[in-house]
Amino acid sequence: MKVVTGVVGNDIHVVANRLIELSLNARGFEVFNLGVNTYLEEFFDAAVETGADVLLISSLNGEAEGWAREVKLLKSKYKTLDNLILVIGGNLVVGTALAEEIVPRYKNYGFDLVFHQVDLNTGLDTIEKYLKERKV
Amino acid sequence: MSLLQEEREIILNNEFVENFDFAEVEEFVRGADKELFISHHFAQKKKKMLVQPRGGFPTYEKQFALNEFFVNANVDVLPLTIDSNTRLNDYATAKKMLRLSEESGNDMLNGYPLVNHGYRTTRKMITHFNKPVSLRHGTPDARLLIETAIASGIFEIEGGPITYLLPYSKNFPLDKAFLYWKYVEKVCANYSKLNMPINRESFGPLTATLVPPAITIVIQLLEMLLSLEEGVKSFSVSFSQSGSMNQDIVMGAVLKKMAKFYAKEINCDDAKINLVYHQWMGAFPTNKKFSEQLISLATVIASMVGADKIITKTKQEASGIPTKEANAETVANTQYILGILNGLPNVVDEEEEENLTLTVKAIMEAVFNDEADTLWRKVFNSIKNGTIDVPFSPHIINHNEMITVRDANKNIRIIKRGNVPIPDRCFEYEKSKCDLTKDTTSIVNDIIHDIGIMQ
Repeated sequence: MKVVTGVVGNDIHVVANRLIELSLNARGFEVFNLGVNTYLEEFFDAAVETGADVLLISSLNGEAEGWAREVKLLKSKYKTLDNLILVIGGNLVVGTALAEEIVPRYKNYGFDLVFHQVDLNTGLDTIEKYLKERKV
Repeated sequence: MSLLQEEREIILNNEFVENFDFAEVEEFVRGADKELFISHHFAQKKKKMLVQPRGGFPTYEKQFALNEFFVNANVDVLPLTIDSNTRLNDYATAKKMLRLSEESGNDMLNGYPLVNHGYRTTRKMITHFNKPVSLRHGTPDARLLIETAIASGIFEIEGGPITYLLPYSKNFPLDKAFLYWKYVEKVCANYSKLNMPINRESFGPLTATLVPPAITIVIQLLEMLLSLEEGVKSFSVSFSQSGSMNQDIVMGAVLKKMAKFYAKEINCDDAKINLVYHQWMGAFPTNKKFSEQLISLATVIASMVGADKIITKTKQEASGIPTKEANAETVANTQYILGILNGLPNVVDEEEEENLTLTVKAIMEAVFNDEADTLWRKVFNSIKNGTIDVPFSPHIINHNEMITVRDANKNIRIIKRGNVPIPDRCFEYEKSKCDLTKDTTSIVNDIIHDIGIMQ
């Protein structure tokens, strides 16, 4: 199973990104880590290039929401990404907001799974369960 | 005209610089008060650890007020922290934000835009306080910035091609950083001939995230050598509080010894090497009382380490840019602790020192054995091929193969060495201190805990 991951936008917070890579590898995923400071187009280009099953975007400074609004539009420009599973996690707003408000908003932006301030392993367990159910 | 002078004229012939007068600046440095040189303070016989806070505000008035607070708190070295636009050479944005800050009274920059203020203005402030000033920035291409700094009377320049790049940037080209910093070293070396030496200081904390002592020391030594080989005569190596008192003491001892050893190897033992200690650079507790305790503890450890200078944090660290009041309070508290810390025991851990020394020497040897013709190219290649690997660097050139965790005594240990040529014996020693039976999930949980150790 191939996963493309990275931190979106001008966010340079690298610690969790490395830990996500370590954890995904340990769970048997083939990981393509684009690192911090990654733009949306780079994520989708990498998904095409690697033939990824999952795109896992993360954010710490909360600027993700500005980018996430463009996900649907951008994804539709790529012909081969219909089956790509979109996941986003981290700290998904600037300031504070409740997960109950954030999650539906991001699902609307086109994400299949949304993790706002969720513990890393809980998040990864949920992704694995989701993939099993979808029989990817 | 020398090539360097030609380059200087190009750099200083910039729309943001108002007529840089080379001859006048030279005269100023030649006649500058010795008090302005930190190298003069380091050379004093009766030595006291120098205390330096952090801080920078956009407007002249606020920076001036901050310095007044520091001086009243009995500061030894004043900081001048530069804003992030200037660090990225975006002087146009800095100029706009400075004007907005001046007009609105709200700070639109996270530091002092030195190039926009210019050296004629800034020099007035520096000579007014007549204290040594340290330039804190984080700039890969600092050529214009350091020219302006020295012309202003700032005679300590922090940074280096590795330590100001690997923790801060994803893709600024490392080879360019080496060449830009070579310019900085040369300019510092030339000015050093006119009066007391300009002091260069490396930024040892790096990512401040589980960086093992061997990597810190190797990078400190290499930046020192790159500086000394250009003629710099006063250099500070540095590191930050690791989380283990014993590891800090061992790191300080080995770093001091190795710095002397390698300076002599390149016939630069006439240069003065100083040791700087940073109070905890990782995540702080949100509880301000606890933060104060952490800061005090760091001061005690700095004394045990025998640092020549300590760089302080504030109790507001967890909540953003500190106020001048909180900043001055830390300076006063730190001076108080230094005053009452007497009769310190002499702690030596020979086994740890030997292990660390062997590791450092092995990595240094691998760097020197690279086939490139100059030191900076050898270092460049060594970072590129993972001989030097900095945990949690965001830069694309960094290998990210090394994995470190804390042992039961909170020492940072290497459990995966990647391409770093750590001798087998030393690697076995490191691993013997850790529980290696854990699976990756629990190691990741340990790492998260080990990073947030002070929270």
